[in-house]
Amino acid sequence: MIQVNNVTKKFGDFIALDDLNMHVEKGAIYGLVGPNGAGKSTIIRHLCGVYKQDAGQVLIDGQPVYENQAIKSRYAVIPDDIFFFTQANTLDMMKFYKNMYPNFDEALFKKIMDCFPAINPKKMVRSLSKGMQKQVAFMLSIAARPELMILDEPVDGLDPVMRRQIWSLIMSDVAENGLTVLVSSHNLRELEDVCDHVGIMNNGKILIERSLDELQTSITKIQIAFEGEMPKLPDDITVLKKITNGRVHTLIVKGEPRAAEQAIGQMNPLLMDVLPLTLEEIFIYELGGENYAVKDIIF
Amino acid sequence: MQSKTSFFNMALFKKNISRTWIAGLLYFVLLLLMLPVYFVISTANINGDDWYSRLGYTMEMRLFEHMSTMPTTFITIIISIIVTGITFWYLFNRRDSYMMHSFPVTRRSLFFTGILSSLTVSLVPVILASVIMTIAAAARGCDGLSCIWYWALVVAVSTLLFTAVAIFSLMISGQIVTGIIFYFIFNFLYLMMDIAFRLTASILMWGLSEAMNGIQYRIWTPVLYIPNNAKVFSDVVMDDNYERVIEFKHSFTGGHVLAIYAAAALVIIIVSYQLYRFKKLETVLDFIAVPFMKPVFSVGMSFFISMVAGAFISGMVEALTSLTYDMKYGIAIVSALILGAIIYFATQMLIEKTLRVFCAKKAFACAVYSLAALGVLLCMRLDVLGIENRVPALKDIQWAGIDNNYTMVFTDEMDIEAFRQIHQNFLTDKKELRNINYNYPDVDGKTFSIRYKLKNGKIVIRSYPVINTEASVVTPEYLAATQPILDFVNNPGRIKEHIIGNIWNDCEIKTMDFATLVDVPENNDYYFEYNEFDELSTKEKKAKYKRVYEAFLKDIEAGKVFQQDFAGYDYKYDENNKVRLYNSFDFIVRNPDVVYFSDSETFYDNAYSGQTIMHEQSIYAELTVDCTNTLKALKDEGFYTDEDDIITYDEFSKKYENYGYDSEAIDPEAIDAERAEYIFEDPDGDLDPLEAIMN
Repeated sequence: MIQVNNVTKKFGDFIALDDLNMHVEKGAIYGLVGPNGAGKSTIIRHLCGVYKQDAGQVLIDGQPVYENQAIKSRYAVIPDDIFFFTQANTLDMMKFYKNMYPNFDEALFKKIMDCFPAINPKKMVRSLSKGMQKQVAFMLSIAARPELMILDEPVDGLDPVMRRQIWSLIMSDVAENGLTVLVSSHNLRELEDVCDHVGIMNNGKILIERSLDELQTSITKIQIAFEGEMPKLPDDITVLKKITNGRVHTLIVKGEPRAAEQAIGQMNPLLMDVLPLTLEEIFIYELGGENYAVKDIIF
Repeated sequence: MQSKTSFFNMALFKKNISRTWIAGLLYFVLLLLMLPVYFVISTANINGDDWYSRLGYTMEMRLFEHMSTMPTTFITIIISIIVTGITFWYLFNRRDSYMMHSFPVTRRSLFFTGILSSLTVSLVPVILASVIMTIAAAARGCDGLSCIWYWALVVAVSTLLFTAVAIFSLMISGQIVTGIIFYFIFNFLYLMMDIAFRLTASILMWGLSEAMNGIQYRIWTPVLYIPNNAKVFSDVVMDDNYERVIEFKHSFTGGHVLAIYAAAALVIIIVSYQLYRFKKLETVLDFIAVPFMKPVFSVGMSFFISMVAGAFISGMVEALTSLTYDMKYGIAIVSALILGAIIYFATQMLIEKTLRVFCAKKAFACAVYSLAALGVLLCMRLDVLGIENRVPALKDIQWAGIDNNYTMVFTDEMDIEAFRQIHQNFLTDKKELRNINYNYPDVDGKTFSIRYKLKNGKIVIRSYPVINTEASVVTPEYLAATQPILDFVNNPGRIKEHIIGNIWNDCEIKTMDFATLVDVPENNDYYFEYNEFDELSTKEKKAKYKRVYEAFLKDIEAGKVFQQDFAGYDYKYDENNKVRLYNSFDFIVRNPDVVYFSDSETFYDNAYSGQTIMHEQSIYAELTVDCTNTLKALKDEGFYTDEDDIITYDEFSKKYENYGYDSEAIDPEAIDAERAEYIFEDPDGDLDPLEAIMN
């Protein structure tokens, strides 16, 4: 669905995107994660057709996005900072979206509105709380019947119930209509629940782009204890991090977890636990290798 | 339904209108008040017996007069930037800009829909107001309703042009405030550049101190050019006594001007669209959003501000001390270069939003700019364009004029050529002449002006500081350069032709006054008395005036009156006061069959010269005791009887200096003594009235 090929973008002397490649399959929920300043919003603005890349290609369904009205009418965008016209209420915005998006489903909009009873459709949208404005944005975007939704910090500012409700609406659209979702968020625990693919960005590049399952099995946390000193590990086990607490050693191992488990098992440890890593942990360990500053704060 | 055409998007159009309609409504109310409401009120009490009707004004005349005074560009320049600014507001806010460009709509649609909605909001009020005005005027029985729609056409073209300039200005900036500033800069750019060059030239260049007087509104400044050149023209001509309308001239002017502006507006819109197409949205909030405009702005600002400021600084230094021409230029150039570098880096800070702009690359750019600025100032100094030395060719001159003590304008080809030659010779000695303030700091002098009206409508204005030719220190070279000018203007024939006027030899003297002073010593006062000759018939009076006039002409021939010099006001002040008469002398020359050519009106008021038709002129002459012919004739004809009636300035001041009109003559001690006496005489009277008021 989305193909970003060797995209470079400079702001003056600053390289915001550095030969970036990114690919999102149709029907996937793709989580784009990265530290502040990694370039997530910049690549999203390219995908929205706001920025034009200095080099490379930004394609959706094989077509360039920039100034492509036909392609843009097939996806909806919810930015972090949402824009509504001054003086416009929810119904005014609905009319505007209806005129903008050829597939806009007014009946669906009314149906979704029932899920958000707290919103007065005749009240000026800009006077609503930030969370409510987000809800209105979701109502409008889902009713536009897009094939792709691009979400930048989508549930930021929403209460837990509303977050679940929004995600459930999106998930059902994914399930029923094959909606593709690209979501950028700092809330990695939430992304872990919804995403099936993840791209980790730093310094204008995608460091890792895999399915979540694949990612979660590529890094493992192994806790081991030996009677005496820990013997030397085999060379084919890549240890990203090692923490020793008494006789208990915690290893963050990169690579196939079963192979590591087998190799360490042969060293007859007193104790061995193989634990899956959360997305947040993977994010931190991966970026630790990129000299990310968080590393030193955590350990 | 989504619009099919990619130039226009109905949803955007509606949204734009919903945000700007209030501005359109206020504009409509303003136009309504100015057009139909004011017209209806001003014509409410017409009953055939009102003042205008008695003068012969028709309703058509009143309608044309009304529409010819309605403003055009002065309102549209404001409404255009307001409406366009609101419409394209989203370009100056990151959130709005990103979201608007995320919608499935092209920049082409955003741009042209924005333009269309701006024009709709700006033009619909004009159309509505014009329709209502047409109905109101028709109801009043006016003919010539087309003038309303010509006014509307002028306003519509102005709106189109200013909207185009507004959109262009907004496209090159990332900040709305900067965009608005650019809008006004572009609208007045030519005029500002003209003023900057003229101001600099007026301070630095010899002979151009009056350069600011030559400013004319050109087509590049439409806000000022349109009102003068594309309008409903109406001129109700009255008779000599302003009692009856004798002619009604009306027309619609400047159709071709409107066509040029409309075409220019379309070009600007297309250029603006190209800027929008390639506009990088990451430049939102940047001072300048278009790369090529950054050096233009930086260098332009540095150049013009430093040039004018440098000239001002040299002018200020010159005011404090005498400078040679070269010293003056040197100060201007050094000041301009220093200021230019400061302004250059200041503008770089504005553009790049950082104080860290000092680097080798920018220093090099600044050096290149400084060399260019130095080049321009040196070109001025060396008069590369030949401005200082310019004397127009005879074939190009409509008239030539000089203003010194009196104003003379020469239209005769021989006179013009003679005058040209004198001017040319004067310029040949400019090396000597332009340093007179430095070379002769203690010699008094003045500045005289020369003007040439060219056949193409342009005016060449020069003014030169000169010093008294009678001063002992004056060199023969200086005298040779300046004396011919005085000889030329002091020629009796030219005095009669240009100071009395073209009818001097074929005129009647309508009135003549010679004032004599009557002393009233008991009141410490005096008054002027004029012999009105009431016992005589008009014919007899005119014959008497004519005889004095003939004698006056003899004094002109003898070089006793209307003589010009280059001396300052204080030169031989006391000596002059001993011969200048305090008695005033004036008369009116008139010829009902010949149009009077006013030299001074022609010289100074070019815009209106030729429009005012005069057949008479008042002449004021300052007589001296040497005007023996005139004085004798005045006495013979009974304007005065006693030689004691003739009084010089010197005699007057001696005789009347204690009459209380001269504050310096009041003795404060005498007043105190008088006050003390008042209090002494009335010890219960408390304070005198003055002190009572002050307390």
